[in-house]
Amino acid sequence: MIFGEIMVKTANPFVAAILNIAESQDIGSFKKIFEYFSPRLKSFLMKSGAEESIAEEIIQETMTIIWTKADYYDPKVASPSTWIYTIARNKKIDILRKSRKAILEDIETAVLPAVEPKTEENIEHDQKFDLIAQQLDSLPKDQLDLLKMNFFEEKSHGEISELTGIPLGTVKSRIRLALEKIRAKLDKNGAMADLKESDRSISIN
Amino acid sequence: MTFDILTTPATSPASLLFQQCLAEIVPENKDLNQIKDEIGGYFLERSEPVSLSNDLWMKTINSTSMKNIKRAERRIDPFLSRLPRTLQAQLNDKKIKWKSFKDVKIASILPKDKNEKLELIHVMPGAKIPQHTHEGIESFLVLHGSYSDEYGNYNQGSVQIRSEDHHHTPVGHELTGCIGLAYTHGRIKFSGAFGKLLNIIAN
Repeated sequence: MIFGEIMVKTANPFVAAILNIAESQDIGSFKKIFEYFSPRLKSFLMKSGAEESIAEEIIQETMTIIWTKADYYDPKVASPSTWIYTIARNKKIDILRKSRKAILEDIETAVLPAVEPKTEENIEHDQKFDLIAQQLDSLPKDQLDLLKMNFFEEKSHGEISELTGIPLGTVKSRIRLALEKIRAKLDKNGAMADLKESDRSISIN
Repeated sequence: MTFDILTTPATSPASLLFQQCLAEIVPENKDLNQIKDEIGGYFLERSEPVSLSNDLWMKTINSTSMKNIKRAERRIDPFLSRLPRTLQAQLNDKKIKWKSFKDVKIASILPKDKNEKLELIHVMPGAKIPQHTHEGIESFLVLHGSYSDEYGNYNQGSVQIRSEDHHHTPVGHELTGCIGLAYTHGRIKFSGAFGKLLNIIAN
């Protein structure tokens, strides 16, 4: 069946793992996520300035949120890696402050309510994030590097300009163009169909 | 300006919450924010793994087993329901402590911090905030309703940036009033006789 083939092609194993945690608190699925993402999170966190012990503390907290709030994960909103990345990034912002006393709630679980039962039938969702990944794969390296510096290494446009020697205005316009390109592709494929037609353009003012 | 705010990496809880609310309240911002986060996830998957301490898995398992998965009931609060989900999640189990100044109510969203603050401002329908300027920079996001001042009218989802040299007298929409989110580096400063009193209370 065609539908079945599409499912196999697009289904991300970590989507199933998170759903298993939500449905049956499956420790095997949790371990799979832990083993794949924790070493990568550690790399991300240490590069953004966390000491090793703090990086591991943030990983532990991130994993705890995945375990306790898996039912809030919505595959229509984010890929597993993105959901996990945003949890860790938010924890990092909270914990790396001088006072070290956490004050943020788990706002990444705010895409509520988690009432819709998540079954095999409604996981043909990840088309959208597959498409974004495909778009990123096809970008020229210099554009991809700018996006990486801005949205993964968390550098401001000014810092990127200083590092690369590219004028500030050019940094901004290149990033905006790259994002518009990705969005145009998603629009074409109907992946942003939940949004109104009139709301498609990136606001620059 | 919206594009700049959304693409500047948040470095503090206040700036993160402000950015998330801005992303949530306007559909095209939400869209942009999703793509931006997917880029983060894309590079996370492609990061060079760094080996973990041997006991991290056991520590994690132990700490998760301590957590009670049953969580606090969502509060049904007509005021909260008008706010972006990000703020609902942040404020759900907390009592909002309003300070009232006549027809204007102000509540801090995060504990006091000397560098920045994030506040909800609720301006009642038709209410006028005394003329004031700002210390540092204030970014104001209209969450609900609208307001106007000497410079224009501002609707839901719009952001205004004010600094020290900006004197204005905002008035809440006469029917809806206005609920806004103010992210400030520095303290707000009121001018005028009533303003002096407000300065004492607000600071």
